[in-house]
Amino acid sequence: MTPWLPLVVMAPLVGGALAPVIAIAGARLLRAWSLAVVAVTGLAALRLTLEVAATGPFSYPLGGFKRPIGIELRFDEFSAAILFMTLIGGLALTYAGRYAIRGLPAGGQPWFQALMLINLGGMAGFAVTGDLFNLFVFMEVVSVSSYALVALGDPRMAPLAAFRYLLAGAASSVLILFSIGILYALTGSLNMADVASRLDVEADGMPAILALAGLLTGFLLKAALFPLHTWLPDAHASAPSPVSAVLSALVVKLGILGLLRSWQIFAGAGWAPLGELLAWGGAVSIVAGAGFALFQQDLKRLLAYSTVSNIGYIVMGLGIASQQAVMGASLHVLNHALIKSTLFLAAGALIHQTGCRTLYELRGAGRAMPATSLALTVGVISVVGLPPTAGFPGKWYIALGALDAGRPVFAVVAAAGGLLAFAYYMRVLNALYFWPPTHERVLGVREAPVSMLVPVLLLALCCLAAGVFARLPMAFLEPAVSRLVGM
Amino acid sequence: MKRALAAAAMVAVAVPMLVAVSALPRPGAPDGPVHTQVAARYLAAGAAETGAPNLVTGVLLGYRSFDTFGEVMIIFTALAAVMAALPATGADGAADRQPAGGGLPAIRVSPLVAFVVRFTSPFIAAFALWVILKGHLFPGGGFQGGAILGALGILLTIVLDRRRVWPLPAVARSRLLQAGGPLAFAVVALAGLWLTGYVLGYPADPALHAVRSLMMLLLEVGIGFGGGAIILALFLRLRGD
Amino acid sequence: MTEVDALLQNIDYAAAVILFCIGLYVVVAKGNLIKKLLGLNIMETAVFAFIVTSGMVDGGHAPIVTEAATPPFASPLPHALVLTGIVVAVSITALALALIVEVYRRYGTIEADELRETD
Repeated sequence: MTPWLPLVVMAPLVGGALAPVIAIAGARLLRAWSLAVVAVTGLAALRLTLEVAATGPFSYPLGGFKRPIGIELRFDEFSAAILFMTLIGGLALTYAGRYAIRGLPAGGQPWFQALMLINLGGMAGFAVTGDLFNLFVFMEVVSVSSYALVALGDPRMAPLAAFRYLLAGAASSVLILFSIGILYALTGSLNMADVASRLDVEADGMPAILALAGLLTGFLLKAALFPLHTWLPDAHASAPSPVSAVLSALVVKLGILGLLRSWQIFAGAGWAPLGELLAWGGAVSIVAGAGFALFQQDLKRLLAYSTVSNIGYIVMGLGIASQQAVMGASLHVLNHALIKSTLFLAAGALIHQTGCRTLYELRGAGRAMPATSLALTVGVISVVGLPPTAGFPGKWYIALGALDAGRPVFAVVAAAGGLLAFAYYMRVLNALYFWPPTHERVLGVREAPVSMLVPVLLLALCCLAAGVFARLPMAFLEPAVSRLVGM
Repeated sequence: MKRALAAAAMVAVAVPMLVAVSALPRPGAPDGPVHTQVAARYLAAGAAETGAPNLVTGVLLGYRSFDTFGEVMIIFTALAAVMAALPATGADGAADRQPAGGGLPAIRVSPLVAFVVRFTSPFIAAFALWVILKGHLFPGGGFQGGAILGALGILLTIVLDRRRVWPLPAVARSRLLQAGGPLAFAVVALAGLWLTGYVLGYPADPALHAVRSLMMLLLEVGIGFGGGAIILALFLRLRGD
Repeated sequence: MTEVDALLQNIDYAAAVILFCIGLYVVVAKGNLIKKLLGLNIMETAVFAFIVTSGMVDGGHAPIVTEAATPPFASPLPHALVLTGIVVAVSITALALALIVEVYRRYGTIEADELRETD
């Protein structure tokens, strides 16, 4: 029984709570502290990932109380995937920490760092817990810190966007808690595996269906599937860019993980008609998200709508529910995290240097900031889904899975979504490279500082690597996907 | 129009929910799953396993202490959020903000209210301490006691003039105290790992029951005082100090 | 047993559901941000009431197991869950109020309709 599993949650959370204390000793020490906390978490995550690859899923009974008496932490391949991408975000952010200083009120920096670390720890907790109520608690840790992080953005619109985000997020959380309460009243237990074994959807009838509906609505709202996405564009566009990267790349994925956990609980019982619903919902979301993105002038809003479209791919893959489609969806969870953090950090660097947000104002910036624009271009090629980049394998397997399951219509939607993405991202590249500058600030702009450039370029490199070496995550996720589909 | 639509939507939501909850096991039935599954074990063995006859505290700090850890982190997050998002509107910050202005108009407190508050505050403080320290025996615990402490702090900062209460805001702003809850959990987690081999475990050996009580006490004190400090600090920041 | 009998038997749950929907109505229909927040709090309270109700038992006592106390005891788990839930709700409310203060400072109004016009 190694204590790595609780460590991966407790280290960033306690580290975050101590960040303001450390900050009294100086800003440098604070940055070193954040890096150290992320490094410890990363080592623990690596250790856990190796273990799960070798032995399969394992549990840790907190306090020595066996399930279902106590809270059980459960580590499977999906937890590893979420944890891993959480760390990529965390590292990029501690690195790019200087960026966000500008908008903060005096003395806000330590609290900003604390929020970032707590957000990271909350995601880790959400990924590894095997208990329904504990899932809710960590979901709230992530949510509350996310609302706060959005509020630190562009002061003209951030407070209102954060409030709307809070209202939607808290309503979905309440719905999820309600569903957990129903499941508890039905089974008398909160451990996910225990609830799954006690729940009999046939016999329990309406309450079980209501719980499932509540969980699905709540998690899909958190994942921002169309038409439950209305809170997302404002929140993601007005947050500071590193925060937008975390929110778009990681936090919305928690909704997807919640969906996967609900699937594990309600396995076998009534997932098939639901799968149909999810697949269509995902398909609509792909097209609608892309459609909205086509008409955006603001670069970050365009990226935000692109997230709605990409979440559609993932949900559609899960809804089709064939082996290949679920594999594609799981891959896309990982790869979209890489791509979106690249895009948002690169966009953030552009906006930070030029002070312009719209495509019109940003015209010609590609030549002035070649390295940042190169990273953005790699991200764009990836998100469109061209081989050999990170966006390709996920969408490819989702389309294959759709054909495999005898649903060619979803393969067509997947391809159409790619074409639409090509169309709206071409507008970005077009503005950056093929138009002369219109804004005087773009004329005199300089390349982003190294501390911002390094994480952006590293992430862009990861986008390429994730496309070339897609076999590696596939082999790792294979057992988990087979278990899920075979349930 | 909008309201009628919303009301219609609510009825459409309410009806299936009502149908569903009416099919749940009757609340209060002693043979319902809520009472025969985990809860039965808590009632049978909880007092012995956690050392807390008040089983709610036993569940909060024993069986489900990880939930409580998350909960402590959420209050801390709320503090961090308000500290980062809401600029302090001191003398300089208030001037450039248009409608609301900085701070609140000074409240004129009647001498009678001031006297009553000053007279009762030691008793309230003693009650808060009692609730924090005796939470394993009686209804109460860290959160409840912390809420009383925080409320007392708010009351005193409103009623008494600033010179008299100066130590209170200073204490509430102590970052170490604000992190008290998470810190207490970190210490107890490590102690449990060392003593039992499990994170957040409590030693079952009767010889170590004093250690177990000490660990729980540390959690209660961390949650109570940390929570109280956070509540007061939140109030002070929202007020614009 | 008819539907109505079933509903009457679970009347406590039904009350929680109705309260939940009232809260949802307030969130959706009211324009004032503080009223929306109050609606959210009503929804949260409804869910807490629902969970606490599930833990009660006929003729039960508070789950404090001493010599003097006699069974049956209410289930302690829902109480612990709701205590956690209340703290979460308080934290969200504090943050939301801070955001409303900021919105008011920025725009001079907290009515959703007027805020939409300033966008």
